[in-house]
Parts: sequence; C-alpha cells; structure tokens
Amino acid sequence: MTGAEIHNEIREVNLAYLMLAQQLVRADRDSAVFRLGISTQLAEVIERLTPGQVLRMASSSMLLCRLRFEDRMLTDLLASHEREAGMSRLHAAILAAGEPVEHLA
Amino acid sequence: MRTRSIVSEGKGIELASELVRMGARLQLLEAEIGLSREKLLKLYKEVKGESPPKGMLPFSTDWFMTWQPNIHASLFMSLYRFLLDHTGARGLHALIKAYRLYLEHVQLNDSEPVLTLTRAWTLIRFFEARMLQWARCNGCGGNFVAHAYDLTHNYTCGLCHVPARAGKTRRAVPVIGTVDHAVAAIV
Repeated sequence: MTGAEIHNEIREVNLAYLMLAQQLVRADRDSAVFRLGISTQLAEVIERLTPGQVLRMASSSMLLCRLRFEDRMLTDLLASHEREAGMSRLHAAILAAGEPVEHLA
Repeated sequence: MRTRSIVSEGKGIELASELVRMGARLQLLEAEIGLSREKLLKLYKEVKGESPPKGMLPFSTDWFMTWQPNIHASLFMSLYRFLLDHTGARGLHALIKAYRLYLEHVQLNDSEPVLTLTRAWTLIRFFEARMLQWARCNGCGGNFVAHAYDLTHNYTCGLCHVPARAGKTRRAVPVIGTVDHAVAAIV
C-alpha cells in the first residue's frame, strides 16, 4: 500500500464513521451514546458538525475512531467461536455495558 | 382529577400506548402514568384489541436467579444503568430505551426475549427497594443480578461457569426434533 492509498483508506473510514455517528446521534442521542461509547458532550459536538467540518475532520491522516474495548476478556469473548456464539455475545454485551465512555478532554 | 393539564394528559396517553405496544401490563401503567384506571383500561383494550390479563404481577425475586433469566436480567440492568450513568434518560424513558436495546441484542442473537417489559420494570423496582443487588463475577469482572445480602465476594457468573444442561429446556429440544422429522418426511 502506498502512502496515498493509505491516506485514502483512512479518509474513507473516518468519513463513514463520522457520518454514521452523526446519524445515530440525531436519531436517538441516548442510544447513540451507548452504541458509540462516547459521552453526551462528545455526542453533542458530533451532532453539531457541519458537512464541511465532517469532510475536513475526515481527511486527516490519522484514524478518528479507535478500538473501544481494550479489555482482553472482552476481545476474547467477541472474537471467540468455541462456545455458542449467541451466549458469548450476550456475555460481551453485559461486560461492554459496564465499560466507561470516551470523554472530551 | 389526577392530571391537570390536557397537554400532560396527552403525553401520558402517548407514553401509555407505547408501553402497551411493548407488552406492559395494566399494573405498570397504573403505577407510572397519572391517568385514571378507566382511561388506561380503555386505552389498553384499544391498543391491544383485548382485555388486559387479570391477576397479580409476579412478585418473587427468585425468578431472576435462575440461569437464563439471570443473564437476561443482568444484560437489561447493565443497559439501564449505562443510560442512567451516561445519558440524561430517566424513569420511564430510560426503561423504554434500555428495553429496546435489550430486545435488539436478543433478536440479533436469535434468542427469545426472556425478560418482558413488565419483568424489566419489576427488576428496576426490586433494585430500588434493595431486594436485589449487583454481584461482581470473579471470572470476567462483569456485574450480575443477585439477591440482596447474598455473600458475593466469591461470586462466579452463570456464563463463566455454565451449569450442566443449561439452556436445554423442554421447549428447546422438541423443536429440533420436529424440524428433523419434518425434513425426514419431505426427503
């Protein structure tokens, strides 16, 4: 992958993330806070972004979203295929709901 | 008159019909919505097309301790607590949103919603009355529903330590049997 390709891919992921996040927040802010794992303040900031701001933010050379679950247990559960998949996803959801959210610094 | 303004009565009716559609029983509406019993009864019949079930609500905390209900109750309660901790949703709105998230989760995983809306509401009331509490699992660190005053410092959840034959209910087994028979009959 060349530098330009990497940059393009990153921009696309950023754009998709921001647009989805904005849609979720606009549809139902409280559920979006859960789905995205961000604070209400951060959700409000995302909601207020203009299309121009979304584009400018997306064309950074860094990914805007990062892995939400650093917990080893949680990644194990989400990725596991050994047990019945439904049960391990249910287990992961219980653990995920207890995780803190991203805050504005 | 329990409700003074027409606007708030309208909001109550809207909320009540939403709750009825989600499966709330009449007792939940009577406790949470400031409308007269007659109005709620009429509303229930209009929305559901049938009379509300009679009899008392289930009142035992033991139901929440059996394996599958405990997992579902823990998931719902975790979602509810997340909403209280991180968003402005309170009361009935938090109940409705948490229940929707719970339903979504269960349906994505192709399992049955074991917890009904009325049970979820009862669960919250049990927590508020301190009849139930959280227990932290030693294995995964997740929070699960447990009896108040249970000794929970050595608690292991039903998902870290799945009991033998868990989830193999009488209901689940014949379904597979009948499908197999049906397939055999076709072949």
